[in-house]
Parts: sequence; C-alpha cells; structure tokens
Amino acid sequence: MSTNTLHYEGCNFFRQRLVLATLSGRSVKIKKIRSKDDDPGLKDFEASFIRLLDTLTNGSKIVVSETGTSLLYQPGILVGGSFEHDCNPQRSIGYFLEAIISLAPFTKKPITAKLRGVTNDKIDPSVDLIRLTTLPIVKKFLGTDEGVEIKINRRGAAPDGGGEVLFTCPCRQKLRPVQFIDPGKIKRIRGIAWAARVSPAVTNRMVDATRSILNKFLTDIYIYTDHVKGSQSGKSPGFGLTLVAETTNGAFLGAEQSSSAKGSGDPPTIPEDLGKETAKNLLEEIYRGGCVDTTNQSVAALFMVLGQQDVSKIQIGQLTPYSIHFLRHIKEYFQLMFKIDPVQVAEEEEDLQIGGEKLLLTCVGIGYSNVSKAIL
Amino acid sequence: MEGERTENKTYRPRAAGVKARKKKAKKGGEKDEDLTPRQRNPKAFAIQSIRKTEKTVRRTLDLKVKKQHIPFVDRTPVEPPPIIVAIVGPPKVGKTTLLKCLVKNYTRQKLSNVNGPITVVAGKQRRITFLECSNDINCMIDIGKIADLVLLMVDASFGFEMEQFEFLNICQVHGFPRIMGVLTHLDTFQENKRMRKTKKMLKNRFWTEIYQGAKLFYLSGMVYEEYQRTEIHNLCRFISVMKFRPLQWRMNHPYILADRMEDITNGESIRQNGKCDRKVCLYGYIRGTHLKNKQTIHIPGCGDFDINDIQLIPDPCPTPDKIKKRSLNEKERMVYAPMAGVGGIVYDKDAVYIDIGGRHSYNLTEDSRPSNELVGNLMETSNPIDEKMSSSKMTLFTGTEPITASKADDLMLAEDDDEDDDDEEDSNEDDDEVENEEEEDEAPPLKKNKLGKCTDESEEFAFADSDDDLEKEVVKKSLKQSRKIEHDHDSDDDSEDGSNFDQSEGESDQDIQSNEAEVDDVKDDDEGGGMGLQWKNDMVEKAAASFKARQKGKIDYRKIVYGTDIKEEEYKEEKEDELGGLFKVLKQKNIDNKNDRYSINKTDCSKFFPENPQDWSLDEVIASIKDCFITGQWSKDKDAKARLDLDDELYGDFEDLETGEKFTAEGEEEEEQEEEQEDGDNDSGDNNDDKDSTKPDNEKKKTKAEMTANERRQIRKERQKEAFDEQYDLKDESAFYDEWKADLEKQAKLNRAEFDSMPDELRIQYEGHRPGMYVRVEINDMPCEFVTNFDPIYPVILGGLQNVEGNVGFVQARFKKHRWYKKILKTRNPVIISLGWRRFQTMPLYSVQDHNFRQRLLKYTPEHLHCHAAFYGPITPQGTGLLAVESVAGREPGFRIAATGVVLELDKSLQIVKKLKLTGVPCKIYKKTAFIKGMFSSALEVAKFEGASLRTVSGLRGQIKKALRTPEGAFRATFEDKILKSDIIFVRTWCPVEVPEFYNPVTSLLLPPNQRKSWVGMRTLAQLRRDKGVRLQQNPDSLYKPVVRKNKIFKPLVIPRGLKAQLPFKAVPSELLKKKESGMKRIAVIKDKREKKIDNMMSMMQSLYSHKLQQKKLTLKQAAEKRKKQIKKDDKKREQRQKELKKEIFKHIGRNEKKKF
Repeated sequence: MSTNTLHYEGCNFFRQRLVLATLSGRSVKIKKIRSKDDDPGLKDFEASFIRLLDTLTNGSKIVVSETGTSLLYQPGILVGGSFEHDCNPQRSIGYFLEAIISLAPFTKKPITAKLRGVTNDKIDPSVDLIRLTTLPIVKKFLGTDEGVEIKINRRGAAPDGGGEVLFTCPCRQKLRPVQFIDPGKIKRIRGIAWAARVSPAVTNRMVDATRSILNKFLTDIYIYTDHVKGSQSGKSPGFGLTLVAETTNGAFLGAEQSSSAKGSGDPPTIPEDLGKETAKNLLEEIYRGGCVDTTNQSVAALFMVLGQQDVSKIQIGQLTPYSIHFLRHIKEYFQLMFKIDPVQVAEEEEDLQIGGEKLLLTCVGIGYSNVSKAIL
Repeated sequence: MEGERTENKTYRPRAAGVKARKKKAKKGGEKDEDLTPRQRNPKAFAIQSIRKTEKTVRRTLDLKVKKQHIPFVDRTPVEPPPIIVAIVGPPKVGKTTLLKCLVKNYTRQKLSNVNGPITVVAGKQRRITFLECSNDINCMIDIGKIADLVLLMVDASFGFEMEQFEFLNICQVHGFPRIMGVLTHLDTFQENKRMRKTKKMLKNRFWTEIYQGAKLFYLSGMVYEEYQRTEIHNLCRFISVMKFRPLQWRMNHPYILADRMEDITNGESIRQNGKCDRKVCLYGYIRGTHLKNKQTIHIPGCGDFDINDIQLIPDPCPTPDKIKKRSLNEKERMVYAPMAGVGGIVYDKDAVYIDIGGRHSYNLTEDSRPSNELVGNLMETSNPIDEKMSSSKMTLFTGTEPITASKADDLMLAEDDDEDDDDEEDSNEDDDEVENEEEEDEAPPLKKNKLGKCTDESEEFAFADSDDDLEKEVVKKSLKQSRKIEHDHDSDDDSEDGSNFDQSEGESDQDIQSNEAEVDDVKDDDEGGGMGLQWKNDMVEKAAASFKARQKGKIDYRKIVYGTDIKEEEYKEEKEDELGGLFKVLKQKNIDNKNDRYSINKTDCSKFFPENPQDWSLDEVIASIKDCFITGQWSKDKDAKARLDLDDELYGDFEDLETGEKFTAEGEEEEEQEEEQEDGDNDSGDNNDDKDSTKPDNEKKKTKAEMTANERRQIRKERQKEAFDEQYDLKDESAFYDEWKADLEKQAKLNRAEFDSMPDELRIQYEGHRPGMYVRVEINDMPCEFVTNFDPIYPVILGGLQNVEGNVGFVQARFKKHRWYKKILKTRNPVIISLGWRRFQTMPLYSVQDHNFRQRLLKYTPEHLHCHAAFYGPITPQGTGLLAVESVAGREPGFRIAATGVVLELDKSLQIVKKLKLTGVPCKIYKKTAFIKGMFSSALEVAKFEGASLRTVSGLRGQIKKALRTPEGAFRATFEDKILKSDIIFVRTWCPVEVPEFYNPVTSLLLPPNQRKSWVGMRTLAQLRRDKGVRLQQNPDSLYKPVVRKNKIFKPLVIPRGLKAQLPFKAVPSELLKKKESGMKRIAVIKDKREKKIDNMMSMMQSLYSHKLQQKKLTLKQAAEKRKKQIKKDDKKREQRQKELKKEIFKHIGRNEKKKF
C-alpha cells in the first residue's frame, strides 16, 4: 500500500509520534535517538513504552536498530482488553497512562489495564492529576461517565515505585464533537495530599501551607489527606500534593508537586514549601485558564481531531510548547490544522480580571471511526 | 299579507335589565363556539371499548415512531457539486442516444461523440454530470459507487437482461442510489395490446426490484434518430427535481469523478524511458466530504496514491449568479465535457485552452468571472514574475523616492541589526515573518520594518496589529475578485486594518503585484497633516494598548504553531559543520541551550513547567485572577446580582425553595420585616398561619395577608408538581428524539457558520477542500499505462481514503452466496471483491461461528445461509458492503455476482480452525482404564493434550491421562466404561488455518482498451488444471468404494451349567433341550479289519446304489423331456389341422352367405 512512512529525529515527543502513528495507521521512523549522548539509544522506559504499545496492538511491527538509535514502527490494530504492564520506574505511570488514555476509546475491547510502577514523580503528571483532570475531558468526548475510572491500588514514590493503578475505559465507534468554550468560574478547590513511608504529619503540613495561600481566593477548599502505609505504600518514601480547581461549567484545572526522590541528589523537600509551591502552580494554571489545563491540552486536541466531521471548539489558556508540537504532529499525521484564535473579550467583560489571554481551538474532526471494534 | 308583516314588531333583545345581564353573563361565562366538540359533547368521545382504544392508540404511536429515523448531522454542502446521472443498460438499448438527447435538451447543443463525463447546467441551483456506463462489470461496479441517479435503460422488445439485475445488485451493496427506469424500443410493437401488456409486466418486475411505485419512463419512439422531445423534456424535469438521500460511505469519503486527465511528466524523462512513472493531473468536482491535501486516494482499477498537490480551479461550469428569474438564458446553459471535446475554455494551473471551433465558447467579457481578468493579465505579461519583482518600485510616503526590491533588502538588513537587543519573543516573530515572506517571493518585506523605525511604541503596535501575510494575500485576492467582499474577516479582528481597507480601496488602482494592504496602512498613517496628527494624538493610548497586547502576548498563533520552527532550522544548520571535509565536529549543543526542553533529544513530557512564574505574593498579581473565582466579579449577563435586579424589575419577589430564603423587590421590602423562616413543609404549615408569604405573580390580586397556611402550602405543592412534571410527565414522547434532532441541527449550523466568513484559501487549510469545489489533483508515480492506455469511456474515480484505510489486514465479513448464482464458492478459491472504493482479488476462507464463538472452517459456502468470509484485504470500516464476482473477464452466461456481504471486523490476525481427528487403538485394556497407542508420536505431544476428551467409535467418552514410557507416544486414558480391543479411539482437535495473504488489486484501467474486459488475475486450481491439461491425481484412498460388510457370525449362546441347572424348564432355550447326537465325535471308534472291510463294502454298495439312483433319475428326466417335445409336436400338428379345417369351414360359410345375398 502506498501509505508513506513519516520520518523524525530524536527521542523527544516519542509518545506523541507513536500514538498518532497507531491511530492514523501510518508507519513512522525515528532516527538519531540520543545518537550523540554518552548513553545512546532508547532508554529503558521507552523500551517499556514500546512493549506497552505491543500489548495494546495486534500486528504491529517494531524494529529497533542494534544501537537503539533508530526505530521503525508499523502500527497494527488496537486490541485493548485487560492486561497488566510493569512500567519502568524511570518514568512514572502517568507517562504511560497518558498514551493509553489517548488510545483507549479506539480499541477492540474495553481496556482494563493494571499498571505497576511509580505513581507519582516530579516529571510526569501523576496518576492523581490524570484522574482528576484528564478523565473529565475523556468523559466529555466519550459522552458517558460509566466505566472511565482510575483506581489507585498502591502508591509508589519516585525511585523504586511499587505502586499499582487500575485503569478502565470503554471503547467507542465514534467520539462526539465537543464545544466547550466557557469554563465558568472556579467554584471549589479540591486536592489530595499524599504521603508514603513518611510521617503522617507531613500531609497536614502540606495542607496548611496550601490553605494559607489559597484561602485568599476561595473558601471552598478541601484537601484530602492520603497517608498510605504497609503494603500500599510502595518501595520508596515520598509525599506530594495534587490540587484541582473545579469551575461551575465542569472544567478542571490541576497542579501538583511531589517531593524529590530518594537518592536523586536534590535537596530534601520541605512539606510547607511544597504546599506553597503547588498552590502557586495552581494559581499559575488558573491565570492561564481555559476549559482544559496545560497538561491536558494535547489530549483534548487529539479527541477533537478524532471526532466526526463536525466542528469542535475548546477554550484553552496559552499553548504549551508540548501542545504546539502536538498540533504540528497532528498536521503531519492527519493533514489537519487547528484554527487558533485569541478569545475576543466582550466589552462589558473587559474589566474582568481573569488572568492571561485565552485561546479558542477550533477544528473540524476528520471523521475518525474505530476500525478495531467488531460489529455483530 | 304585506300589511300583516309590517304590523309585526321585530324582535329586540333586552339591552338592559335582569334578563340582559343574565344573558350577558351566560355568554361571557361559557362560549359555546369556543369549545371543541369533545368538550361540548364529552359522552360521544368517551371510551367505548378498551380493546379498540388500545388498538387505536397503539396504531397512532406506531405510526409516529415509524416516521422517526436516527438523525444525523446534515453535512450537505451549500453549493453542491453536480449530481452524477449514470445511464446504464445492455448494449444496443439506446444509452448514447438518450445521453445526446438529454444534453441537447439542457444545452441546445448537439454532441457528436460521447466520451467521459459531461457536465451541464440544469437549473439555477443544479448541475448534472452525465455518464454513460459501458457493459463491463468493472465499469458497472465503479459507477454504482458514485452515481447519484441511475437511468436504467430497458429494451422493451426484449425485456430485462442480466446486466440490469447485476447492476441493481451492485447498487444495493454499495448504497442504493436513486434509480429511474427508461423503457425504449416501444415502437417495435405492432399491436397496441401486446405493448400495454409488456409495459405492465416490466413495470411490475421493476417495482419488485426497486420499490413499489418506482418511476419508470417510456420513450415511445424515435424521430430523426432521436427520442421524442416532449418525453425527453419530461424526463429532464424529473431529473431536475430529484432529491437525494445521503449515503453512508459517500458521506464519509471524498471522491472525485475525473473529467479530465493531463500528463505533465517531464518530456525529457519520457524520452529517456518511455515506461517511466508519470506525473498526472486529474480534474474534477469534489464530492462526498472534504478532501485534504496529501490525503491518500484510491483510483479503482489503478491503485493507491498520495495526492501530491491539490489546486482550487475556477469552476468551469458554474451555476449562474443568484438573480431572480425563472429560467436560464442561453449563455448560462453551459456544457463542460473536456473528454468529449465540447465546451469552451478550459482552465489549468499554467495554461488556458480555448476551443475555437465550438459555437458555444466561454464568454470572456463577463464581469462576474474575475478569473478571466486574471488570466487575461497573465497572458499580457511579458516579463516573468521574479524579474518583475526585482524591478518593481513602491512609494511609501508621498514625495519620497520609490523603493526597489534590492533597496528594500538592504534596508531590512540594517534594521535587523538595530533590533537585535529587542526582547526575544518579538525577534523570533520577526524572523519568522521575514522567512515567510521570502518564501512567498511576493511581498517585499520592508514595510514593517520601515514602520517600526518611526517610534519604538509604534513598532510594537505594528506587530501586534499585523495579520500574517497569508491572510493579507487572501484579502487582496478577494478584493480583486469582487469588490463586494470586504475585509469581513479582518474587520472584526482589528478595526484599524479594516478601516484602512475602506480608504485604500478608492485609491488603490495598482495591480496585482502591489501589496496594497500594508502599504496603505502606512500611507494612511502618514499621509496628510491631519491624519498624521491624529495618529500622533492617540499615541499614548496606542502605546498603552500595545503594552497590554504585549503583556498578553498577542501573537499570531497560526504562525507560531504551523510556521517554520526556528529551533529546528538552527539545529540543521549547525549540523553541517565539518573539519576539512572529513571529520565532523561533534558539538555539545545540549550544554549550550540547557533550558531548551524541546530540542530533539530532550525529555518527552506533557507537563508544563512555567519558565518564569509570577510572584504570587504581590497584590497586583493576585488581583489579576480575582475574577476567575465565583467570589469575583461576573460578567453582566451572568452576574447573579445584576440578573436579580433585572428579574426583580420584571417579576418582583420570589422565594428560594431550597434554602427558604426570600428575595423581594424594593417596593415590598417593608412588608418583609416579619419574615418567616421555613425549613420544611410541616413546620411552616403549623406555625405561620397568618403570616404573609410570597406568591406567584398571577395570584397577586389576593393580598398576602388573606392567604391561609393551607393555601400557601397548596401553592407550593403546585409549584413542585409543575417542576416535577416538567422533568418527567409533561414531556412529550418524542421529546428525547426532538432534543437529539435539535442538537444535531445546532451542530450542523455551527459547522456551516464556523468557517463561512473565511476566504477559500484559508478555509481550505482548516477544513480541506469542500465538496462542490473544482480542483486539479496532481499525482506522482502514476504507472505509464494509465496514460498510454487512457480510455475516457471508463470512469476515473479518485476515492479518498480515511486514515487507516490505506493499510491491509484481515477482514472478516458476513457473507452470503447470491441466490441467483449457480455455483457455490470454494474456500481459498480466488474471487474478485468490490469493497469500499476498491476492486481486488483475494482468497477468502469461509467459516461459520459455532456457539462458543469458534470460527470453524467450511470447505464451501453454504447454499442458502450466511457464513463468514475472512480474507486479506484493505482495512475498511465496519458495516461497509461488499460483493464478490468470480471473474471480471469476458461475458459468461448467467448471473455474475457470486456473493454479497458486509464487513464485520478487522484485525491483523485471525483465528479460524478446522477439525482434525487423531485416531489411536487400545493396546491394553483394564477395567475402565486403557493404554492407547498410535495417536501421538512422542510423550511431549501427549503432554500437550493431557486432559483432552476422547471418544470411541461406539460412543464411549474418555479422557487422556498421562503418557506412557513405552511405546513412544502411548498414553493412559480412562473411559466411562470398559472399551473393546477393536474400538478405535478419537481425539477431536482444532487446527488453526492460515488465511492466505493474497491481495491483488484489479488493474483494469491500466490495460489497453481492447483487453480491458479480460483482466484475469490469479486463476483457480481447477482453471489452471484445465488450461494446462493436467489431470487431477486422486488419492485412491480417498475414493468411495462399495461397502462390503462381512456377515456377522454370532457365537452360540452358552449358559453356564450351574445357571442352567437353576433355570426353570420353561426358560431353558429349546436348542439346549435337543439331544445332542454326540458320542460320534466324542468317542473315537477304532475298527478292526473285518469291520473295516464291511464298512468299505457298505460304502461301496452305497455309492453304487446312489449312482444307480442318479442314473435312473437322469433317464427319467430325459424321457420326460422327450415326452414333452412329443406333446409339443403333436399340439402343433393339431393346431395346423384345426386351422385348415377352420379355413375350409369359413370358406364354405362365406360362399353360402354370398349366395344368400
């Protein structure tokens, strides 16, 4: 067949490229993966990600060169179903889960994935953040609340992990177009302060510090404390905080921080600092605003593209560089461009202080349909 | 009489008084006229019978629900492409004649030859593409996929032929287009009655095939080799008003019916290699849905290609402008048929072709088509555009020296140096823009910088204000095209630009090459004292605005996202460094730009870490987001307080039922002093009997004080009931359906409106090319046969493929042999399948699904049942119809469509199994355990099958237990009973079958015209054998032989002695009671010599005697035979005698009788 291969260089945006390749059915070749590093080639977590893709799909062909610096991926058909995967502890489960979420609606069988590894770390969005901010977006596009769930069976902090997460998602033939252009006002702030293998007082210290900042803005703040112990607490000590601001129209803006990993060489984290830092991150997120927070811009954009041939619109804050690259990749894979307009502020609203400039992402879906799912 | 009448008083109703009042009250109270009959006479409408009522209610509901269809978003384009009308029928039925007549009717123009699609303007809003379908099944399949309306022609003197039925079946599979029957050759009937009968018969047959009441046209005869004018006219009217349903496949896939093909390969490469791959341009209207650039397409009969480029081309056959008039004038009746060689001008990207010969050439002077002007200008130009570019001059300020392009470049360089110390973002943007401009080769990039020189602030301002170049270009074009369309899209962005346009329009008489928009920007700002002053006046404000804009980071997002990436460019440049051409310098770039997270080998992470977060301890910063929270200020239309005020003005006070709070309008505030607090129903009812409370506004007449607690409760209950009803009861049955429909309608409206105001060039980028646009599609790597063997009679379809559809995999389909097809289909025999856009040959495996979802292989398709077919083929969305033919070559008699089906599932591997029975024999049998050998060859194999269920021939069930050491492959098994040594043991296993990975697209378009109908592809084994004359070597073992059954000899019944002794006499079997002539066998008799002699003697005598007897018998027999013969002889003699005697007698009798007469 004549579908031509896409060529890329470097390991950045590795997931985007492979996920989009899987969805679009185009093969992709990535070269020069850390070719000039002291430790060239694919890292363990990327290999783990490839293995995950392999379990998710049927008939994919993955060829990695001997040095590991180039990769050819010919996607197969998304299968899904229930499976388990040991995520490499170099990256947190969020790294893998983000990709699974963007593939999950298009599988043959509904996904029930048991992922083991690091649940929270400093780099990737944690499982909590995904549960609180990404899933509402997925639900909007699926048009259902049923079956979309993340259950954290065990927590595992950064270096060694040992956490376990259960992710379930139904599959669909088609996604629905979404017009979400008014986030409304933030009505409450919720959060989870978690701690594993450290003193339970840490959680309360984080909560107090956070409240000291956020109380100026809103009184409806409730931060759950989740101190896990025993078998549920994973292999390494750590603590962290995830905050989510919920608006009147059902938009969720999230921010999070977690303690620096044991043995990472970073100075030890103080719970109060972490709490304040997270609160500030949340405020930053609120300043950027939109119906979708910075972490989930790409997921929302992807599902807009994969909808039916209808116009989808979503208001977002400023595009992150990651999302910008994602939009570029979408153009390469699906030949689809987004219309990105700054939101026109109505005259009577001009004096409202609602943070930074908002953007309106508009696109016509490509009429994507799930070819894996069987009909009777 | 007359007098009497006049004496009578006329009736005068009472105008006042009691009676009048009564009457008035009655009239006012119940207006009888206003009542419905049902209200006036309720008894007549009462339910008489429950059954009957139930039936009627059910019926009405049924009818209502029957009307409902699953709604879908209406995606039909505003300006639709021409509808495709295909004319189909067997040869010699009059297809070409009809087509010519139709075209003549529409355009008053006679076609000499019919080649390829012919597009005509049929009305103010309708264009039609006519297409003649040849009799090739390839052609029929392709046309069945794209035709909107089919004129099915039938020779009435002959009746329906196989082709018509085949075509109808093809249509059914690929989405049913509209079909109209046309009966011809009606003038061949001599008798009127026979004609009527035939018409009726054909009509009925046609109706059963399509639907009851399908339109069938009669063309009664020919006049001068044409059909009658009135009849054709009527047919045209039917075509013109035809409505079409959207079809699933076509709604989701773009397609183009190419009406023109052009080979634009480099002549030199053709000269060097005549068979080199060609670069081809195909032209046509986009139909179906949006077609994107670089999309993969499939050309049926040719293969898959990636679109190299698409260009929008002015419509060669446009519908006339919307003017209020009834019919088209002569000029607007256009025909476009490049392959048939009619029509006027033909547009191309780089050439214009004018048909000089035709009377109907394109009207060049028409104002409505600006492209003519453009083309005219292009034709007039003598210098190439780059030369023009370099020599072009431009005046920025009045009275200044004109600037040439070279000067501009110098200026720009100088400018860049100045701006180096600008903040990062802006410079980036700047670079970006410059690059783009250079790429476009059109807009001299000086103006922005020139403007930027004025003041610092205004520079910022300019950047903030400027649109990207593309948009401007577009504006320019649209300006040129029609002065009516103005800056709509621009003016809402920034009113400044828009106003400039207004002013510029008048003065800008410059031509294409000038970049008016921006130049005028500058001009207006600097021109004349007043203007300049004005600009200076609000400088502070502008500066503030620009600052604000910069704060906000007002950037052109489209360019940021989709423009060229500077970082990547940098990377590429740096890569080039080499030492002496041999060694490459490895740079540790990563150290240099450590903060650059987005270079190619950085961490892939979706989380965003703000690079320079704001200081959230500052009050201003905190204030900047204070309205994001519900505690902050709301916008006017949503602010609760503002809306409350508004509500109060309208409705006055109300009570919040949930919280029990009360809100009152200002006027009534004093009343509310003694406010009551209500938590639930009961306490409010008990305590607050006399206190006033709120009421709905319709009961305002009664003062609050007058209301009792009961009344208040009543009111509240009513309100609650209303709310409940609204949610559940009062909803119409169709509320859900209506809501759904309304949602989709809203979506459709949004789809239409979203990009409506955009110019086409921009819109295409977001949406793709809309259906209805006329485009030129460039395709590389086209096989040269496509060009050399091009035959316009065969339709060239460019079918767009969605993303995954370019891949191949295993397709599983529900499949049924067509009931009219004579043979059944064999597994693994190649068939040609038409699926989606494609026609391809593949080798399907047929299977059925068992109850445990096992796919069991079948050798042949069932005769009248559905089965599954699994084949290797293109991934096509589920639910797509498919049809199979065994061969497309030649015209063998009979119905050619072998099977039809629908795609169920797609995958990259399949699990189809066939049954395999392994047999073994017992080598040792214990009670219920037996050792079985001969089934497996090793202990490992046995281990694999441990626990598998066994079965003997006699039906005993068992299980494999464990392997034995010797003999190899033997195992222990248990059964439900003792088995026999003679039993054969089976184990039933399922053996996976591979689906052959064979996918061979039918390349009928690449064959030379005379071989088109003989595409063969892979042959079946039987065909191969037949062609090569190879006889089938049959395994003698698998031949059927007559079954020889040995007579079963049963062993005699033996009853043990003990048992026999106990048996009652009655139960003893009779043969047991018989005395055995035993002794002889049991006692050996030894005879002495004498006895032997006697015995010998006796036996000799006996044999002698028996011999004698035999002789006697023989002689007796001979004598008897002799006697028999003798008797026969005598009988014969006697008969002879009697015969003669009788003869004599009858002679005498005859004579006597003669004498008598």
